[in-house]
Amino acid sequence: MELEDAPRQHYTENEKQDIFNQEFMPHIHSMYNFGYRLTLDRDDAKDLVQDTYLKAYRFIESFQKGTNAKAWLFRILKNSFINDYRKRSKEPNKIDYQEVETYYNSEEVDRQITPDLRVESLKDMIGDEISNALNSLDVDFRTVIILCDLEGFKYEEMAKILDIPIGTVRSRLHRARNLLKEKLKSYAKSMGYNNA
Amino acid sequence: MAPLYNPFIHDDGKKPTCMEMLQLIVDNQATDEQRTYFKQHMDNCLPCYKKYNVDMAVSELLKEKCSGENCPDDLVAQIKSKIKMMNA
Ligand SMILES: [Zn+2]
Repeated sequence: MELEDAPRQHYTENEKQDIFNQEFMPHIHSMYNFGYRLTLDRDDAKDLVQDTYLKAYRFIESFQKGTNAKAWLFRILKNSFINDYRKRSKEPNKIDYQEVETYYNSEEVDRQITPDLRVESLKDMIGDEISNALNSLDVDFRTVIILCDLEGFKYEEMAKILDIPIGTVRSRLHRARNLLKEKLKSYAKSMGYNNA
Repeated sequence: MAPLYNPFIHDDGKKPTCMEMLQLIVDNQATDEQRTYFKQHMDNCLPCYKKYNVDMAVSELLKEKCSGENCPDDLVAQIKSKIKMMNA
C-alpha cells in the first residue's frame, strides 16, 4: 500500500502499460466519484483524479502486479486530497474526535442521540436528500461512508487507505451513520413526517 | 430451538453486544455464518430488527443516489495522452 515502502518491482514499458490499463483504469469511475464526494466540485475532482493517475504511473514500480490496485489508488487519491486540497481550504480540521473505543459501551447514550428514523420516511427521499446529507458531513465522516457503503472496502483496507487503526475506522463509521441519520431525520420532518 | 453457537463471540470469550453485531452486519463486514446467526437473533430482538431495517435502507439509498458520478470521457483521454508523453 505504501508508495515507497513496497519492495520495488521491475517492469518493462509494456508491462507498465498493461498494469496501468488493466489494473488501474478500471477503477477510474469509482476514483472520480470519490474525488467528487471529497471536493464537492467537478473540476477539482478531475484534477485530483488526474494527479492520482499520473502519480500512480510514476510510482508504478512500488505497486505489486495483481495486488489490491483499488485500495492502492484510493490511498494515493486520499493523500493527494489531504496534501493539496485540504490545505487550500481555510477551514481547519475542527472535529473533536473522541475516538475512544469505549463507544461500544455507550448504548444508552446512543439511544438518546440516535434519531428514530423510519424506513417509510426514507422511501420518500427520491431527490437529493441523501446526497445533501452525505455532503454535509465533515469530510472524515463522509470518507468512511464512501469507502464502506459505496465502495465496499473491508475494515482493514479502510485502515490502510486512511492510515488509522481499525478501531478508529469502526468508531468513525458508527458516528458517521448516526450523524447521517440525524440529518435525514430533519429532512423527513421538513417533508411532513412528524413522527419520522 | 437449541441456542446456536455465537460466531460474533470475542477472542477472549466475551459476549458481543447487539450494537457490535449490528455494526458488523451494517458495515458489510460479517461472515456468512454471522449473517445467519444475526437473522435468527433479529427474530427475538426488536431493537436490532428496527435498527437493521433503517440502517440497511440508508445504505441502499446511499448506493443508489451517491455512486453515479462518472468520470468524464475527456479526462480519460487526457490521462492516457499524458501517460504517453511521459513515455516519449
Ligand atoms: Zn439485538
